Amino acid sequence: MPLKIVVGIKWVPNTTSVSIDEKTGTLIREGVPSVVNPHDLIAVEAALKLKDRYGGHVTAISMAPPQAILGLEHVIGMGVDEGILISDRAFAGADTLATSYTLAKAIEKIGDYDLVIMGHETIDSSTAHIGAQVASWLDIPYIYYAVNLEYIEDKHLLRVRRILEDSIEIYNLRLPGLVSIAMHSDVPRRVSLTNKLRARIEKPIRVWSNKELDLDPNCIGLRGSPTVVAKVEFMPKVPRKQEVYKDGDPKEAAKWLVERLVKEGLLKIPGGE
Amino acid sequence: MRRAICRDWDEINPEDYKGIWVYMQVDEDAINEASLQLLGVAREIADKLNSHVSGVLIGSDVRALANEPIYYGADKVYLVENKAYSTYYPRLYGSVIVELARKYKPLSILVGGTMKGRELAPYIANTLRTGITADCTSFDADPETRDIVLIRPPFGAWMLAHIKNRDRRPIMGSVRPNVFPMPPRDTSRKGEIIIEDILVDIDPGVELVEKIPIEKKEELPIEKAEIIVSGGKGLGTREGFRSLEELADLIGGVVAGSRKAVDAGWIPHEKQVGQTGKSVKPELYIAVAISGAAQHVFGIREAKRVVAINIDPEAPIFDNADYGVVGDYKEIIPAIIEEIKRIRKRV
Ligand SMILES: Cc1cc2nc3c(=O)[nH]c(=O)nc-3n(C[C@H](O)[C@H](O)[C@H](O)COP(=O)(O)OP(=O)(O)OC[C@H]3O[C@@H](n4cnc5c(N)ncnc54)[C@H](O)[C@@H]3O)c2cc1C
Ligand SMILES: Nc1ncnc2c1ncn2[C@@H]1O[C@H](COP(=O)(O)O)[C@@H](O)[C@H]1O
Repeated sequence: MPLKIVVGIKWVPNTTSVSIDEKTGTLIREGVPSVVNPHDLIAVEAALKLKDRYGGHVTAISMAPPQAILGLEHVIGMGVDEGILISDRAFAGADTLATSYTLAKAIEKIGDYDLVIMGHETIDSSTAHIGAQVASWLDIPYIYYAVNLEYIEDKHLLRVRRILEDSIEIYNLRLPGLVSIAMHSDVPRRVSLTNKLRARIEKPIRVWSNKELDLDPNCIGLRGSPTVVAKVEFMPKVPRKQEVYKDGDPKEAAKWLVERLVKEGLLKIPGGE
Repeated sequence: MRRAICRDWDEINPEDYKGIWVYMQVDEDAINEASLQLLGVAREIADKLNSHVSGVLIGSDVRALANEPIYYGADKVYLVENKAYSTYYPRLYGSVIVELARKYKPLSILVGGTMKGRELAPYIANTLRTGITADCTSFDADPETRDIVLIRPPFGAWMLAHIKNRDRRPIMGSVRPNVFPMPPRDTSRKGEIIIEDILVDIDPGVELVEKIPIEKKEELPIEKAEIIVSGGKGLGTREGFRSLEELADLIGGVVAGSRKAVDAGWIPHEKQVGQTGKSVKPELYIAVAISGAAQHVFGIREAKRVVAINIDPEAPIFDNADYGVVGDYKEIIPAIIEEIKRIRKRV
């Protein structure tokens, strides 16, 4: 039985090009390009590996503004079969409860699925909430931090291997179910030109607004979000001495530094204090 | 006027919700430190609200641990013991806590942000149709409104976001290990143990087939180290860490790294310092080829002295360091090692 897989991908600002306005302490977002959340590319890779081995169909979904279509094109370029962009002003301002609700309702609309795969977490919010929340809405079993997936076809189970702080664990997950993939557990494949062309020509990307999903406005976006940011304050900076040794040769610099550390008793040097 | 709520949420009355709960994660036969640490901060919140703290303990053979939360500051322990709970499964344990919360209506549930805690907490929050804030770093409580504010650094920036849970309860949050200190263990403290026979009618849907303990090298975890030599992306290669290890060995320290060093695969995630890694509190923190992004510096707030070595005199790390040296680490680190050896020979 070929596997029908849904992968969640988020469109996030590329943190490597985000900088901070030192005066206001806020993020400079203007002109910052967005990318598919890097951990989600590993989730896509996990889905494609299953498809390569057992056959199947992979659908990527993303709740994001219209530009995120580029992200869906990217993963279709990797080999994903189709993309669904969930995009509507009405979804804006959602916290993780409302986001997961919207994603879960979209997955229900897709209907026929065996497995939902999520990334470890997103680099912009880093909550790792969405996987468990989507599983809660869909009422399906789930497990986080998978590093390896195998499909046991005759029992319709997924064998999941994961690594926790102090143990390696192997689980059988009943399908339909949800897994999140551990960061760094694999390397995402490259975009192939043929696949990318297919994305451009066949346009296997659908856009669903709330017209298609027909969700109660009280359950989505800002209104469906119990959590609100009540206030934002500056993080108090820890006062530091800020003594800097600039232009000297390394030997002199080392002397300058070690002398200070020894004086403060910070280096364990016998008799040095 | 109450705002209309989502039809998939049940109606609740926020006034009915009282007390601060902390989930007690059990590993093998002990309570995880992250859970115990949370009892300290839960105690502070509860005292502000003139409320109480409870530990929630689930398992098949955990009665022997039931007094521990009380020793660390709890007033009550909800003990759910049954053979059915011999193995942790997120949906199973999550459903038990959901049932308990429906019955006793806590104002807040806090969960230690271990890997299992981060897997479990959002399931509980979602099933109760309430909000949750990940990786809180502090809390505020208002006795007038009986509201708890969860504080966390948001994406980027030197900012702290104060997050509130509008008209939904319980207020849920997770907290990474070692963000709060361990409260003292006081075996003379007394409390109430409430035995609950909750049997949830849910198939966990997962089955643990095998569990292999990881042989941990007897290494000092970075959050307990007194001296840390930390490397960043500017090291250029994994080999760059060699000279940091040499320096660390020489001065009795351990190595750690920035997120970019972790992302590059040069050092494991458990040695990442910062907002999404660990908060450390050494006597001496030496940041080598680390730019000093807000999320990184966040993890070294409690370091007594910070040294920065960076080739770029404009790097923000210098504003966050006590002693800085501008230069190429490939030259500076060996020079420091030489200098220390030289002094040691002299004495
Ligand atoms: C939500 C969120 C959470 C995050 N959490 C964390 C976290 O927990 N921890 C964390 O560290 N980051 C975190 N980050 C990432 C953070 O924003 C930075 O991107 C990261 O800290 C930068 O790592 P770096 O300093 O090693 O690399 P870079 O910023 O690339 O800096 C490299 C530095 O090396 C210097 N350098 C280069 N060559 C040399 C040389 N030969 N000798 C000396 N110096 C040299 C350069 O001048 C530069 O300053 C987070 C980001 C986000 C958005
Ligand atoms: N807006 C979104 N659209 C699709 N998938 C998402 C979205 N936000 C989060 N996810 C998925 O949920 C995972 C965890 O995200 P987070 O809870 O934000 O850390 C991500 O790695 C994605 O796989």
